[in-house]
Amino acid sequence: MSLIETSSLGKRFNDTEAVKQLNLSVREGACTALLGPNGAGKTTTLNMLTGLMKPTEGTIQFDAAYEGDRRNYLGYLPQYPKFFGWMSGEEYLIFAAELAGLPKKQAKISASEMLELIGLQDDGKKRISGYSGGMKQRLGIAQALVHSPKLIILDEPVSALDPIGRREVLELMKRLKTHTSILFSTHVLHDAEEVSDDIFIMNKGTVVIEGSLRELQQTHQKPAFFLETEKSPEEWLHTLKEQDWVVDWELDHHRLMITVDNMEKARANLLKDEHLHELKLVKFEVAKTSLEDLFMKVIS
Amino acid sequence: MNELTEAMQNINWALVAPIIVLQFILMVVALVDCLKQNQTNGPKWIWIIVILFINLIGPILYFIFGRRSN
Amino acid sequence: MMRQWMVLFKKEWTESLRNFKWLWLPIVFIVLGVMQPITSYYFADIIENFGGLPEGAVMDIPLPTGAEVLAGTLGQFSQIGFLVLVLAFMGTVATEKTSGTHIMVLVKPVSYSSYLTAKWVHILMLTLGSYVIGFSAAVYYTFLLIDQVPMSHVLSGALVYAVWISFVMTLVLCLSALFNSSALVAFGSLGTALLLSILSMYVPELMMWSPGMLSSHSYSLFFVGEADEGFWLSMGATVALMVVMMVSTILLFNKKELAKDSGA
Ligand SMILES: Nc1ncnc2c1ncn2[C@@H]1O[C@H](COP(=O)(O)OP(=O)(O)O)[C@@H](O)[C@H]1O
Ligand SMILES: [Mg+2]
Repeated sequence: MSLIETSSLGKRFNDTEAVKQLNLSVREGACTALLGPNGAGKTTTLNMLTGLMKPTEGTIQFDAAYEGDRRNYLGYLPQYPKFFGWMSGEEYLIFAAELAGLPKKQAKISASEMLELIGLQDDGKKRISGYSGGMKQRLGIAQALVHSPKLIILDEPVSALDPIGRREVLELMKRLKTHTSILFSTHVLHDAEEVSDDIFIMNKGTVVIEGSLRELQQTHQKPAFFLETEKSPEEWLHTLKEQDWVVDWELDHHRLMITVDNMEKARANLLKDEHLHELKLVKFEVAKTSLEDLFMKVIS
Repeated sequence: MNELTEAMQNINWALVAPIIVLQFILMVVALVDCLKQNQTNGPKWIWIIVILFINLIGPILYFIFGRRSN
Repeated sequence: MMRQWMVLFKKEWTESLRNFKWLWLPIVFIVLGVMQPITSYYFADIIENFGGLPEGAVMDIPLPTGAEVLAGTLGQFSQIGFLVLVLAFMGTVATEKTSGTHIMVLVKPVSYSSYLTAKWVHILMLTLGSYVIGFSAAVYYTFLLIDQVPMSHVLSGALVYAVWISFVMTLVLCLSALFNSSALVAFGSLGTALLLSILSMYVPELMMWSPGMLSSHSYSLFFVGEADEGFWLSMGATVALMVVMMVSTILLFNKKELAKDSGA
């Protein structure tokens, strides 16, 4: 049973169809990525799931085991979270927890736990107006989590951050996914690959590919070898192209990426290739092609 | 003429003092707040002048227009 | 439901403590309230002393009555007082919408009516509180300097005027919830208040029902202890209009798309 499921969901703004015929289902306990380029309709989809926007078509079903207003079971971090700058981080978390229905005492306990979780325990008493972007983003995640929702929905949680902030938030998400279901959107494949279990790739308002990360990797990833040589491998490449186990290759000066269909056969062949040894190997690495190619193909 | 100055000295202060005190409180609070803000709408030094030199209206203008909410 | 309402209300309250509205609004009203009795008092005094009247002219500049001064004070409240109140509260909902802070509030299991009525009650408490403090100061100075007015006249007149203030502030909140531009909210509510007052002054027969009549009713209460004809009509209509405005604003707010722009 999925936690939240949409069927033929659609949203039209005047003459643009931001989302159409969208079928999405989020498993309980999983971390699900909604991946797509800018303008794919991710934010619009998440806004409909949280109830901030009304769908023009289709339905949204939350797990029937949880009855009543589904906002009770959701936590949400908007793409551009905006706080009351005059509150302190701690006050905001208590405010959010109490709004979600926690009694005052529990709200306080939960707020201080959250501050610790996101590493802001020392800044909890400071006004939010003085926080950095990364701190605000982490506070945003904390306010989504503070009432222990069944599902947290994060809209581009790492897009606006610098590399350090990005790393912090991704690590936080990895820790969270052990005890909460997460649905997050991103336009960066790498982020989706790093933390998610399930991926929905969206383009132009609809889902084009879906599946678990592992499935997608198994069907779309090929084994590959990454070689670096002292001499240019250009000539050697001509003979290599003829081999039946070579699927694709990419040459960048002295670096060569060879995609193959059979890892063992390719390795055995490469290692006994005399010509390759003459090129003076600097690096020989077993690698994999990423989902990048697939992603680029489906969104173009 | 003498009567008037006398009258002014007698009642004037008791009556007007509360207003002056209130205006002063307002000015001080606005000034302290303005100095503490890391940003105001428009240059801060202009707001400081406005608060200091326009009686009553200055601090109020600051609270309404000068203060950033976020 | 009720607890969430209290949480929202407490947030409004803390916010207006932190941005000093609880300090400066009462001060504005005290100063406005005290000004009228003091100037009335000294005006007569000064003319008497510096009148420069020709020799032999008979000095006859009567001090205004207490009721006149109180009515004059409310006149000040209706002009500068309203201007300040409207400017102070025009952004109540509008700035939350333009900055986007309302999103993370309304995505919680909170009803839109709680969100709006918590703001409404808070605005009324703050404005009426400031008004009561300021008008008390006016009454005190008037009694001290000018002349006594029967307390029942003062209280009933002040109460009626409080309803007029509530009406204007309800209008401010509703416009703020429906529009994003604070300037539009300010012009809309001040314009409406002005229009109602002017029409009530020039065509009172047509405007018997109008909330704009309430200030002249409160003046009559000061002067003679009785409101003019049609008092209950305008009182009833004002209360009804406030309810209608609040209910329809909540309904419209429910229908509106909250997350207007996904962009920054
Ligand atoms: N409030 C709105 N009014 C009109 N068009 C909108 C609105 N919000 C989004 N859109 C359009 O819908 C499409 C999808 O937007 P969005 O959901 O924000 O995409 P994403 O989050 O994937 O970048 C875009 O073409 C955008 O211009
Ligand atoms: Mg988006």
